[in-house]
Amino acid sequence: MIDRGEVIRMARLARLELSEAEIAQYQMDLTSFLISGEKLQKVDVSRVEGTSHAVPVTHELRKDEVGPSLPQDAVLLAGPKVQDGFFQVPRIVEAQE
Amino acid sequence: MISYDTVIGLEIHVALLTQSKFLCSCKASFGAPPNSQCCPICLGLPGALPLINEKAVEYATKAGIALNCQINHFSRFDRKNYFYPDLPKAYQITQDTFPLCTKGFLEYYVDDRLVKTEITRIHMEEEAGKLIHSGASIVDSEYSLVDYNRAGIPLIEIVTAPDIHHPQQARLFLEQLRLLLSYIGVSDTKMEEGSLRCDANISLKPSGSNVLGTKVEIKNLNSFRALERALEYEERRQSQVLNQGGIIRQESCTWDDRTGKTMPMRSKGDAPDYRIFPEPDLPPLHLDPVWVELIRATIPELPLERLKRFEAEYGLSRYEATFLVNYPDFGELFFALACQCRAYKAIVNLLMGDYARLAREKGHLDPQRLAELLTIVDEGQITQTQAKDVLEDLFSSHLSAREIVQEKGLEVMGDPESLRPILRQVLGANSELVHRFQNGDTKLLGFFVGQVMRVTQGKADPGVVNRLLRDELGK
Amino acid sequence: MKKLANLLETKQVSSQEIVEHYLGEITRQEPMLNAFITVDQEGALTQAQAADQRRAENRPLSPWDGIPIAIKDNISTRGLNTTCASRFLANYRPLFDATVVRYLKDAGLPILGKTNLDEFAMGSSTEYSAYGVTCNPHDRSRVSGGSSGGSAAAVAAGEIPWSLGSDTGGSIRQPASFCGVVGLKPTYGWVSRYGLVALAPSLDQIGPLATSVEDTAILFSLLAGADPKDASSAAAQTFEVPAWDERCIKGLKIGVPEEFFGKGLHPEVEQAVRRGLRALEEQGAVLVPISLSTNEYAIDTYLTLVTAEASSSLARYDGVRYGERVGAQDSNTMFAKSRAAGFGPEVKRRIILGTYVLSASHYEAYYEQAQRVRTLIRQDVLEAFRHVDVIITPTTPTAAFRIGAKQSPLEMYLSDLFTAMANLSGIPALSVPCGKDSKGLPLGMQIMGKHFSEALLFRVGHFVEKTVGIRGCCR
Repeated sequence: MIDRGEVIRMARLARLELSEAEIAQYQMDLTSFLISGEKLQKVDVSRVEGTSHAVPVTHELRKDEVGPSLPQDAVLLAGPKVQDGFFQVPRIVEAQE
Repeated sequence: MISYDTVIGLEIHVALLTQSKFLCSCKASFGAPPNSQCCPICLGLPGALPLINEKAVEYATKAGIALNCQINHFSRFDRKNYFYPDLPKAYQITQDTFPLCTKGFLEYYVDDRLVKTEITRIHMEEEAGKLIHSGASIVDSEYSLVDYNRAGIPLIEIVTAPDIHHPQQARLFLEQLRLLLSYIGVSDTKMEEGSLRCDANISLKPSGSNVLGTKVEIKNLNSFRALERALEYEERRQSQVLNQGGIIRQESCTWDDRTGKTMPMRSKGDAPDYRIFPEPDLPPLHLDPVWVELIRATIPELPLERLKRFEAEYGLSRYEATFLVNYPDFGELFFALACQCRAYKAIVNLLMGDYARLAREKGHLDPQRLAELLTIVDEGQITQTQAKDVLEDLFSSHLSAREIVQEKGLEVMGDPESLRPILRQVLGANSELVHRFQNGDTKLLGFFVGQVMRVTQGKADPGVVNRLLRDELGK
Repeated sequence: MKKLANLLETKQVSSQEIVEHYLGEITRQEPMLNAFITVDQEGALTQAQAADQRRAENRPLSPWDGIPIAIKDNISTRGLNTTCASRFLANYRPLFDATVVRYLKDAGLPILGKTNLDEFAMGSSTEYSAYGVTCNPHDRSRVSGGSSGGSAAAVAAGEIPWSLGSDTGGSIRQPASFCGVVGLKPTYGWVSRYGLVALAPSLDQIGPLATSVEDTAILFSLLAGADPKDASSAAAQTFEVPAWDERCIKGLKIGVPEEFFGKGLHPEVEQAVRRGLRALEEQGAVLVPISLSTNEYAIDTYLTLVTAEASSSLARYDGVRYGERVGAQDSNTMFAKSRAAGFGPEVKRRIILGTYVLSASHYEAYYEQAQRVRTLIRQDVLEAFRHVDVIITPTTPTAAFRIGAKQSPLEMYLSDLFTAMANLSGIPALSVPCGKDSKGLPLGMQIMGKHFSEALLFRVGHFVEKTVGIRGCCR
């Protein structure tokens, strides 16, 4: 069984407030996920590199040209809390991770 | 007391001087109203995808070449995941495992010694937004305001090996690096505006030991002075702690310029877990070696090469050469003048002297006008003293040097026929001294020259006067 | 669709009439199905009238001008709510259109609404939607599949002639199969992802769903093509709907992988697929038994990668710039509370799993390992295509399951057993109906091909549809 503290640590890293019930649930889910994935651990992958892009493509770079930005009011329109053209956030404290 | 060796490594973030941002086409400039230079990409709106700015890659490559790096033809982008209100996607697109440039170095002078500091890597990444705190500092603020105009401006991070040995050397390194970056034109390198930022790692180890001590990271040093002072403070603090049998905690801290102290930010009991993995939205970057060579060809003469050239080709002193290198506008002016006038020392004396003072106030003169002044002086038409006056006038009038000389009636009296009567008058009035001179007191020649200059109000050409005097006195 | 286009062309029917017809169907059936999250009645009618105007002036934007479409609600539509079936984005209105949406608008297709899905496309049944499950039109006690369940059910029920879905591990094909419609997961990179709200960017693709292979191909032709806004989109050409020529079946080498016909496969599904294979054989195709042994690892590899990428892609939902914020004293608590309130249980589960496999101490064993196994899977698939032209398998192990039947997440994840491989290797895969089971539930055949072989898949699918397929459904 994956340690409960491990689930709490992941939830902190991912900024998810979990209830006790959720912690217990995800502790179980994470454990069974890892058990199910055990056979993956045994595959010999020593001779291959990882695939991060399934279909190789040439990377087309963008020319350094300025395009239109959004109007300020459109940018702020969906903001849950805005002030004087800025997005407002509550006090920033260092996280305990 | 044990003596310690100081070990310093630097991480420098440099904002690149592109027109548009790193991953989108919003304008990459400062000073606009908040959140007015933003688009779905730099705001991290759902579904928006990043696109790499070619110029940013070019500038990063250029910096790599100028810093003698290996330019990696394969490099890759990664996501560095962490939550912070100024980071719109909650991950930063950066290069972790496969950076663009590796294994370079920068050479610079420490006192009279040329030293080399290894550049471990240079990678590209995106800038975060800007926070404005409601209170005096982040911790005193009930809330903060976020402006994403800056989010997504291209940065390079330059990382040195830990082979800098004292705070002053760290400053000299950073000064040389800044100069180099401005020479290649990839950044405006303004530390006060944050387009050049420096973090420093410092640790102490017993002299001669190979084992590195625990390092402390000092963040966001925003001036050369702050860098040197913060490192000096930390060097002192660490050696005191160690000498009292204490241990150094690995931590990040900030530098407070007012108190002259470092302040711990957080203890790194848990190092942040950034969960870095390859950015799936961006394919790896394969640079064409031919393209890299084309970029290489655009690299101008770099500060150290130029310094050596000033010394070797123009016979300037280290001090003079350094002045011209550190102020590239003066360096360029020197080259322009040196084409027309071979009196290199006279040029540099002029530039470093009154000209520097005036040019800082009023801007540079057209090199042609300045060259004319140097020519007139070189030809002996006016004296050094007169040259100063003409120079002042060049800054305030549109006349050429020759015109000023004419207008002020400053021409040198170089005609022997008009000078000879004055000479004879002077000698006649000092017959006693003439006698002494003729009996071997040759030092008196200067006195006679001075008298002639006085009578002519400084207009007489000292060379001609000299020659004529020897002529007359030799009779 | 060609018929409908012809009716429009010859003015026997107007776009407004067509849109009104489908709006009527939606009004009638939605209470039973719940395939839509948003119906844009007003917008669709305005667009229909504009289309009619263009027709009246004989300047239609395309042959399909005026034929309405529905869009999965994780594809950005400017000014029209795009919720991703999440509470977090309940009121989110994109400021831009996804590239594919722009293409559809450029072709004159009125957008009728946004279809239901599992929250952020995480699921196989739409049971994880914050807006309720979408029922299967063939049996309302059963799921429509997922995550593009709304798009599949709406087409199957005749609420819309065609729709867009997205497929990360089977999210178009599995609901297409469950609902008895045709669905394509295109070659990775052939359709722009710009504007698709990311689940796992290295696997996500947008694709078409329709009642016939031909309509699916027509819709695909409107979507395909490289997009300068999506760096991962391949430099691929546009797509032309192929001529329906059955001669291509003769001599066609069809790979039949034994691993897809073994344990866990429902016998009725197997029968249906084998019936299709026989029809192909009778037409001259050669069935080649092959092995895709790495499929054993597909689900776990897929889950590792999809959760990892999702944990990062969904980090941006922090309540700062858009979305639903839950107030708190400090930013971190605000993030954690907003995300906790905005995300459903499956999203949270996957974020926890993804964070775990990316975290420093597990990265190598899980994420890195899965990336490498992905390479083996890709190699396995590409090797198979050196010997065969297409690979045919069942789309899903079973027909549509009952709502609430899958209790454990792992059970649900097994829905992707036959489909994840195509996403992991980037190949195209088409699901075509191939009959019904004894309960009258549709069954699907999956046809996979080499990268960019969509034309061949459509040809084969067209033949299967003509010979064994079930068309439409419960109308």
